[in-house]
Amino acid sequence: MKRPRKSKSGSRPLALRLAALRPRIAAFLLDWASWGYIAYGVMYLLNKYWYLRYVDFYGRLTLPSWGWPLVILATLELTLLSHAFVQTIGLSLFGLRVLGPDLRRIPLRARLRRFIVQHAVLLAQPVALFRDRPGGLLLHDSPTTGRMHLVARVKDEMPPEPPEKVWRTYRGIFLAGLLGLTFWLGWKITTINLQMLIERIGKSGHIWRDLFTPHFTYLTEYVNERGRLYSITYHMMETIFMAFFATVTGAAIAFPLSFLGARNIMGFNKLGWLVYSVMRLLFNVFRSIESILMAVLFAVWVGFGNPFAGAMALLLHTVAALGKLYSEQVEGIDPGPLEAITATGARRWQVVVYGVIPQIIPSYLAFTLYRWDINIRMATIIALVGGGGIGTLLFYFKNEVGRLPDAWNQVGAIVVSIVVVVWALDYISARVREKIG
Amino acid sequence: MATDELIRVEHLTKIYERGDIVALKDISFTVKRGEFLVLIGLSGSGKSTLLRCINRLIEPTSGRILFDGIDVTKASAKQLRQLRRRMAMIFQHFNLVKRSSVLTNVLAGRLGYVHPAASAIHRFPKEDIDAAIANLERVGIPEQIYKRADELSGGQQQRVGIARALMQRPDLLMADEPVSALDPATAHSVMQYLEQMNREDGVTVIASLHFLSLARRYGTRILALKDGEIVFEGLPAEIDGKKFKEIYGEEAEEVEVR
Amino acid sequence: MEKDYPAGFLTPKPNWRRPFRRYGRDLGTLAADVAVLGALWGLFSFTWNHFAHGTRDFLSLPWGPVLIAVVGLACAWQSFGVSVGQRLLRRRLVDDHGRASSARRVGRALLLPLQPLYVLPVLVSATHVPWHDRWTGFRTVAASEISELRRPWYRQSSSVAVALLGAAMFLVSALFTQVDLVKLFRNAGATSRIWDRIFHPDWSILGLGVRLLIVTLYMAFMATLFGVLVAVPLSFLAARNLARGIAMRSVYTVIRVTMSIVRSIEPIVWAIIFVVWVRTGNAAFAGTLALFVHSVADLTKLYSERLESIDPGPVEAIRATGANGLQVILYGVVPQIVNPYLSFTIYRWDINVRMATIIGLVGGGGIGQRLIQLTRNWVWDQAIVLMLLIMLAVWAMDYSSSRLRERLN
Repeated sequence: MKRPRKSKSGSRPLALRLAALRPRIAAFLLDWASWGYIAYGVMYLLNKYWYLRYVDFYGRLTLPSWGWPLVILATLELTLLSHAFVQTIGLSLFGLRVLGPDLRRIPLRARLRRFIVQHAVLLAQPVALFRDRPGGLLLHDSPTTGRMHLVARVKDEMPPEPPEKVWRTYRGIFLAGLLGLTFWLGWKITTINLQMLIERIGKSGHIWRDLFTPHFTYLTEYVNERGRLYSITYHMMETIFMAFFATVTGAAIAFPLSFLGARNIMGFNKLGWLVYSVMRLLFNVFRSIESILMAVLFAVWVGFGNPFAGAMALLLHTVAALGKLYSEQVEGIDPGPLEAITATGARRWQVVVYGVIPQIIPSYLAFTLYRWDINIRMATIIALVGGGGIGTLLFYFKNEVGRLPDAWNQVGAIVVSIVVVVWALDYISARVREKIG
Repeated sequence: MATDELIRVEHLTKIYERGDIVALKDISFTVKRGEFLVLIGLSGSGKSTLLRCINRLIEPTSGRILFDGIDVTKASAKQLRQLRRRMAMIFQHFNLVKRSSVLTNVLAGRLGYVHPAASAIHRFPKEDIDAAIANLERVGIPEQIYKRADELSGGQQQRVGIARALMQRPDLLMADEPVSALDPATAHSVMQYLEQMNREDGVTVIASLHFLSLARRYGTRILALKDGEIVFEGLPAEIDGKKFKEIYGEEAEEVEVR
Repeated sequence: MEKDYPAGFLTPKPNWRRPFRRYGRDLGTLAADVAVLGALWGLFSFTWNHFAHGTRDFLSLPWGPVLIAVVGLACAWQSFGVSVGQRLLRRRLVDDHGRASSARRVGRALLLPLQPLYVLPVLVSATHVPWHDRWTGFRTVAASEISELRRPWYRQSSSVAVALLGAAMFLVSALFTQVDLVKLFRNAGATSRIWDRIFHPDWSILGLGVRLLIVTLYMAFMATLFGVLVAVPLSFLAARNLARGIAMRSVYTVIRVTMSIVRSIEPIVWAIIFVVWVRTGNAAFAGTLALFVHSVADLTKLYSERLESIDPGPVEAIRATGANGLQVILYGVVPQIVNPYLSFTIYRWDINVRMATIIGLVGGGGIGQRLIQLTRNWVWDQAIVLMLLIMLAVWAMDYSSSRLRERLN
């Protein structure tokens, strides 16, 4: 009779060990990316300030053929170095720490040893995964070179240590460095030039002056230049109705869809998971495209300047945004009442209607009002791409700036009306939200 | 002015809402040094308001409060801060800064004493940090020193509050229902720390309590409030059944907290 | 000042404000009812005109008779049942003479519109009872003072009216915005060329797109950074619980109002102004400025609202130790708000990234500018590539921002 294979006490199956590897890989990738970003920043600034031999005229980021491998190698080495010696951002974000066998910080010499061992055993690492080593997961983990621990698991056995001052740690300095680099890069890339701004105050001063003396000529009159422009009041109503239609229809459509996108409702068979994933993907995709970009397409579809285009664009975006918010709410409900109602022998849909829906209605209403706020703001400008609304007048007058003498005054009037309406609606929705919540 | 009188309250009145709510009605009493005065009374009888008027966390409507001969009600902002340094306070809901560490919370007791610029960058003198550790040892929780305040249990949080009060080295300690949110055993241990401060450090204590049995056990003098007025002032032993019903109302019954 | 009252003196509530408040409430109920009924009339007449005549007319009668009818109906509604205004402001009618007869209710409804004539005598009189109540034997009281049976929503005239209003609003909004699904399907064929181009993207523009996307992301970052730097100190000035004294209160009001106004104007509108201001080569700067201005307003609002809802307990405790104002803020307020402030900053950064992608549409630089050029020239196969890039960036930002904000709570 064959003896059953005895597993060593405390050894974990392969799947578990691989799962334990995930945060380490993620931390490594994050830190590598941060060093890569620094490398990018350095190269960009070098290009900007000192024209190296290998840079073409337009300051683009070009390197000689040996440049890219050098950069990759350098960043990798720096990541390994930082992982061995200090607590990096990636490590702390994923809750990892290198600790000695007594769960204290390991001394400098041990860290150096760790760094060297890491390189020495690089190619042999996969072997480590097939043996559950008592010293630690990877080959460079050992009692002498320290072991990577998940802090959450060993927190209680760790000796207490005073919290370190953030600005003195490697992480703090690194983050400050990243911030500084990004600030410097940003200043250059977004071509900020305060001197130019101040110099040109004179040139554009008349704009501000005109903006603050609005001409309400077209408040109720009709501007019939191209046969399709109307008064401010008309377009304001168009805007409000557009946003209202999009919000209400969007909420109505998103309501049932949100159940299809909620894990606790759909996750009971394979088909359910498939529907859930598809739904979530659709929500994410349409949420990531702003309504105004979708309006570009709809304006071509149903006609430029047609408020229907704007309404459809807002509708699609609203359904996606509300669908995600709603389904998150559904996933976060208290399972207690559901348990109780299921125990009475109710069917699935009855459990949903009597257990789930009453818990989520207040937040649904709050989210819908929040979305209404956003939609009304979007609706004011969606005319830019042909979506209809008060933006039509706004951009019409902006384009007439050279030709009409009081164009900016008209723009000012439209801006004032936008402010008044948006502010009033904001106030009302805030009061309604107070009453509900 | 007798020198053994620490607090003298004269005709203290507090009215809210333009005359709708009278929290305190013409209260007058004195507190001697070294006393353990216990305030009792129903919820809403004015105990919290009275305590907060003494260090002017609430502005009295009229009346005068003398602390060690100095008029609190007429003190300027700077004088008030110096007076408040000498009066420590602990609260029913502990009032610790939840996200800060226990050490920071305890050191906050010295804020009235350290230089403002130093405290702005969280630099406390070494003696203060040593004192903080010593005080935490005194209340029995030295190992919690670096933990976030909201990771502690209720009793531990109140002890941090006591440690914060100890850091001020106060002449007066005011406790606004310090044990109402704690279970009986923890309540006793907290009250014992207050008693220790009173007997060993000579700190005058004014505590408002809900349970008469605790008042009897720890107080040297009792002041009972009802609807903003003093209805009883005297020794704990003097409260018999009739006085009890006067203070708490006709349907009240005594609950023992052992 | 309060301190001058002699001890033991009970100040009765000053009652010279009461009649004004009550008059204001009654007027408010009437105004709400007139608004609801007027809106209902307008919406229904629009629908009627749309389907019967094909015109867009909200009144269909001269506004004089409409106004009279609406006001009269509102007064009748108030006197006979519980109107929307009465529910909103929580007022109810109480009968003083037992079972109210319809005749007396009609009388009250007729007298109500004449209120402007007898406002002054009522305000000056001792009891402040309006004549339309006094002469018909009614009283208007706060809803809390009477107990009434709660009827289901479909039996309450106010709820039915609001539901009707909502439905009518929806119908009119669909009509006004010319919602026409038939048109959508009919034109689908005409746009098939575009769809064809969209599903065959031209990847040659990927390099340029990535560069433009980088500029866009930096625009969002700089706008957020400067926005935070300005908004944090402003928020302390705009928090009601930290503003004591007349000077600080007026600063509070000014900041709050200005920020509300600035917030109501979308960054794109700001970009229009800034694009004219800066030189042509600095389009990205214009976009950054526009986002910055809007960010400051939005962040100040979020920050100051959070400041107003901090736990006052620890603040009280630190005040009680004798700390001065700055120490109280540093030790009592700041630890409570660091995490929420960070969370709001990340939220705003997310929004700025979204906005930055489209702010190019008015010339604000970044990827939006190239995108609008491509769509205007109908180069859809390249446009879809840029749109995909935008989608990727926004999605990545959204994902990381939601994960970070989870960690902060």
